[in-house]
Amino acid sequence: MHHDAAAALKLTALSKHFGRPAVDRLDLTVRQGELYALLGPNGAGKTTTLRMVAGLLAPDSGSVEIFGIDLAANPAAAKQKIAYLPDDPMLYAKLKPTEYLEFVAGLWGIEAADAAPRAHRLLEWLDLSRHAHELTEGFSRGMKQKLALAGALIHAPQLLILDEPLTGLDAAAARQVKDLLLEHVRAGGTVVLTTHILEVAERLAQRIGIIEHGRLIAQGTLDELRRQTDGGTLEDVFLQLTGQS
Amino acid sequence: MNAGAGSALWLLKHEIRMFFFNASFGAQKKAARRGIGKGGAALWIGTFALIHVLAFILLDRIDGAGAAVAIAPPHALVMGLSGLFAAAFSLMMSSGLRASIEVLFERGDLDLLLSSPLSSRGIFSVRLAGIVVGIASIYLFFLTPFANAGLALGHYRLLGIYPVVINAATIAASLSMLFTLGLVRLLGVRRTRVVAQVIGALSGALFFLLAQAYGNAAGSVRQQVAGWFAPLLAPGAALGPDSVIWLPGQAVLGTPRPLLALSMIALAIFALTVRFTHRFFVHGVQQAVSLMRVVKASAGGPRYRFGRSLAQVIIVKEWRLIARDPQLVSQVLLQLLYMLPLVFLLLTKGGERLPGLGAALTFLCGSLTAALAWVIVSAEDAPDLLRAAPCAMRTIRRAKLIAVAMPAPALMALPLLWILTRNPLAALLLCGTVAGSVTTAAFIAMWCARPAARGDFKTRGKGNFLGKTLELLNGLAWSGLAFLLLMMSTAQQPSPSPWPLFGAAGLAVIAAAMVLFGYLSRTRDD
Repeated sequence: MHHDAAAALKLTALSKHFGRPAVDRLDLTVRQGELYALLGPNGAGKTTTLRMVAGLLAPDSGSVEIFGIDLAANPAAAKQKIAYLPDDPMLYAKLKPTEYLEFVAGLWGIEAADAAPRAHRLLEWLDLSRHAHELTEGFSRGMKQKLALAGALIHAPQLLILDEPLTGLDAAAARQVKDLLLEHVRAGGTVVLTTHILEVAERLAQRIGIIEHGRLIAQGTLDELRRQTDGGTLEDVFLQLTGQS
Repeated sequence: MNAGAGSALWLLKHEIRMFFFNASFGAQKKAARRGIGKGGAALWIGTFALIHVLAFILLDRIDGAGAAVAIAPPHALVMGLSGLFAAAFSLMMSSGLRASIEVLFERGDLDLLLSSPLSSRGIFSVRLAGIVVGIASIYLFFLTPFANAGLALGHYRLLGIYPVVINAATIAASLSMLFTLGLVRLLGVRRTRVVAQVIGALSGALFFLLAQAYGNAAGSVRQQVAGWFAPLLAPGAALGPDSVIWLPGQAVLGTPRPLLALSMIALAIFALTVRFTHRFFVHGVQQAVSLMRVVKASAGGPRYRFGRSLAQVIIVKEWRLIARDPQLVSQVLLQLLYMLPLVFLLLTKGGERLPGLGAALTFLCGSLTAALAWVIVSAEDAPDLLRAAPCAMRTIRRAKLIAVAMPAPALMALPLLWILTRNPLAALLLCGTVAGSVTTAAFIAMWCARPAARGDFKTRGKGNFLGKTLELLNGLAWSGLAFLLLMMSTAQQPSPSPWPLFGAAGLAVIAAAMVLFGYLSRTRDD
């Protein structure tokens, strides 16, 4: 029980059906301070899982606990600790980056004294300061993704949930995002991300979970996963575990 | 007619097809559906046939009009038709400005076209021609039945309606495009989008406002205006029967020389617009769009306004988004413009017409609120961001409702204060009906909201028949209630009949029923 309370994210028998099971009695635990990559083929249930964790979808059954807080019982307290970044950034085309960050900080009830320096630092870090007075409708895909990431980090979440965070980013932007995620973990934060870029999972993640048909079929460090298969790169391991090799 | 791929005609067919696909006249918004549905097509054909019948009856009854048309139309008829032409032309300009903005900045296919081997002059010509077709089609729909019925009755000169409409649409489209490109050069793209939409709204409402101002002016004012114009309208004067200003009226009646002159003018303006502006259209507009992103950063780096409450951040966000959406600004402005004559009437003839004016103001406030509610509640750009936030959706909705309900009371403050100084009871009653209309309209819109894109503002009623019906009936009920209550409160003597009271009670019940239906049909996602 004490061990469970330490988990940043704990999913217990989580299920969601859309005609067919999208997530099927999924059990998953992510420890505090780790970067966890959730991998799976298209339609495996990764996005559905993350949307349930973010409180955007109600599970049919099972539970989601965030730092020991039951999401269904106390959604506000649980959501206060997390940030969710989908692959399609949740932005307003007619707002400027500064206004967007003000809005997100307002939603999470962040004090001005905390939010202002954090916003300044994030925009600087993500190289968006010089675009701070432009409407986001003119931004490139990478700039939008970086702004959405700044929005996700403005309230200093303890658990960062990212769905395909590197899609469409150029090499420099991808590097910035990866550095930011590693920095977040170094500072004690937890990251759960999905990605189809297996190299990213291989280099960044401390533990990797592989999901198929809504169920966790394997989990562990890359070495542990290699031991369960014939070894090789994460791509080899992934293809063997999902029966696609 | 087969047009070779890549030819101007082929591209024009594509433009026209896009116009009809985007218009979706009467078609329900369903997945993978576009253009006119079978039901919509049947409705349009039926309406077209009906207008033919009405036109035939009307022209048949205007005894002797045929002879007048054929030989020498009376000048009063020419003046009247010229006036109608001017009114229609101002509406065409309004449509032209909207269409120019749409084809230049919103359709998003310019890069594809300009990267093809088609000539930029050809692309620009066809794009302009597409606007002409778009503008002309609706006027041809309503006016050509008169030409066709006239032909059946032997008044062949009424066929002049065809070229007059096409020429007027050509001139309006060309001037609109020139004006829009000129604004881009002067103001840049973002401001052009706002200014062109606002001027389009003003242009559309211009003749309505002028007609209302003249119709509601005191008799002495009208006499004074007539006195000013009488010398100008005399034979040989600037606006006399021979003036070119009446050329459109004569052209409508098929007089050959005016018709030819109008056609030449239209052709010349179209050709000159293409000749002088296609290069700017290709390079200037593209550059201007790219420059949209390059904005000078203010000195001292980014400035923030953190620390607002949840309600404040939502209200500020909603109003920023509305203020930066040119299409919404023009639509709301148009609604406000139509309120102006009512306010004018209230200030000049308030006592005698208060019930009718109060009813109209109540209805307009309700419909303005419903329109804003659609934008703020249904057309939320990032619903997942709000759902992921650690606050209850009802708190967010409450803040959104405040944002929705704010403008109507602000607009009504002045008229209400004016009424308050003259009839406090009437002011109190009107305040109550406006508050009721605004509040219930906002709630119904919120309960019946369906996720939508802001760009669908003009077609927001489609696919949500229940919500739209509840909104309309609710507005009418509150409007009727305002009328009856104000009628009773301003009557010199209390009415012996109980019917107005029963009527008011009945309308209050209808309004309450609409709210109840709205509540029962709500969707819950929190």
